[in-house]
Amino acid sequence: MKLSPENPLSAAPEIETSHAEEFVEQLRCVTDTLPSRINIDAQSVEQGLAKLVLTLIEFIRRLLEKQAVRRMEGGDLSPEQIEELGLALMRLEAKLQELKTQFGLAEEDLNLDLGPIGRLI
Amino acid sequence: MKLYVYCLAEGVDALPEPVNGVSGAPVRLLKTEDLSVLVSDLNADAVPVTRENALGHAAVVRSILDRTTPLPFRFGTLVTEQQLRNYVAARKPALETKLALVRGCVEMSVKIIWELSGIEQPEPVESDQDNKQGAGATFLTEKRREILGGELMEEEAADISTWLHETVGGLIRSEQVSLRPAEKLVLSAAHLVERDKIRQYREKISEARKDRPKLHFLLSGPWPPYSFANIELEFKTPFGVS
Repeated sequence: MKLSPENPLSAAPEIETSHAEEFVEQLRCVTDTLPSRINIDAQSVEQGLAKLVLTLIEFIRRLLEKQAVRRMEGGDLSPEQIEELGLALMRLEAKLQELKTQFGLAEEDLNLDLGPIGRLI
Repeated sequence: MKLYVYCLAEGVDALPEPVNGVSGAPVRLLKTEDLSVLVSDLNADAVPVTRENALGHAAVVRSILDRTTPLPFRFGTLVTEQQLRNYVAARKPALETKLALVRGCVEMSVKIIWELSGIEQPEPVESDQDNKQGAGATFLTEKRREILGGELMEEEAADISTWLHETVGGLIRSEQVSLRPAEKLVLSAAHLVERDKIRQYREKISEARKDRPKLHFLLSGPWPPYSFANIELEFKTPFGVS
């Protein structure tokens, strides 16, 4: 099928930006998070499993935090309950930080790319 | 021997010029069910993910873009000829619907970076009560501030997305938008634009970006419609993994 004259197409794609270096840096960050190949060895399987489990815990932890803040804002918690809830969530955050360090995972590692619907966190 | 599959197209009877694809393999046209598929014969079970192979895949898909709008396959699709023929036969109505969607169009891409520090965050408000509260309550107060800040960023990002849609809405047939309010690269949009509207689309974006001087834009294209074709075109055995 030939293109009709009213349907022209320029020969090559053009890229327009006045902040090329900034975009290169950001796009490199995105591609660096994509695994080029799945390595099936004991170490990577263990770390991969830890990453998945900790991501889910992190997701639930953030939900709990939001729920706690909403309840605090709603005024249905006594000062003692707020303190207790805050301390529990603080310890959970510290424990998760400890586990991340143990498995060599950074903050940005705890996420899942869900494709077209975006990221989990 | 397997077939490496680049893209599927309608109305192509011959390749415009000889072109080499992944691993330098020659490309040929396979006709099936009134459709044309660009393939290479490869004696391999998987294709290495290298810069050369990625560019080779893109060059082959690109080679017919000035004649028709192909549906690109995912990089690394390696199947037998029978699998490919069965796949096309089984999904012909869906493939024709996809081809109708992209017909006469190309993909244009807009990426936007924002300065996260430029988003106003709620200031911490200290009161006598805060000074008296314990570590747990202070922790929750700080979390509240973070959550409110996150919500503000989500609203701001959604506002940018709406603004972009309203800017080019009349010129696009379809769009795929990814919003990431917590990241610097806050928005990535793929727009399906009719070929005769590309210039108008570019002008519209160039004009509109003046309204948002704090945002950094990257506009690129025309590209084959990668964002509008791949998902439903996946084989169950991508990357040659059985």
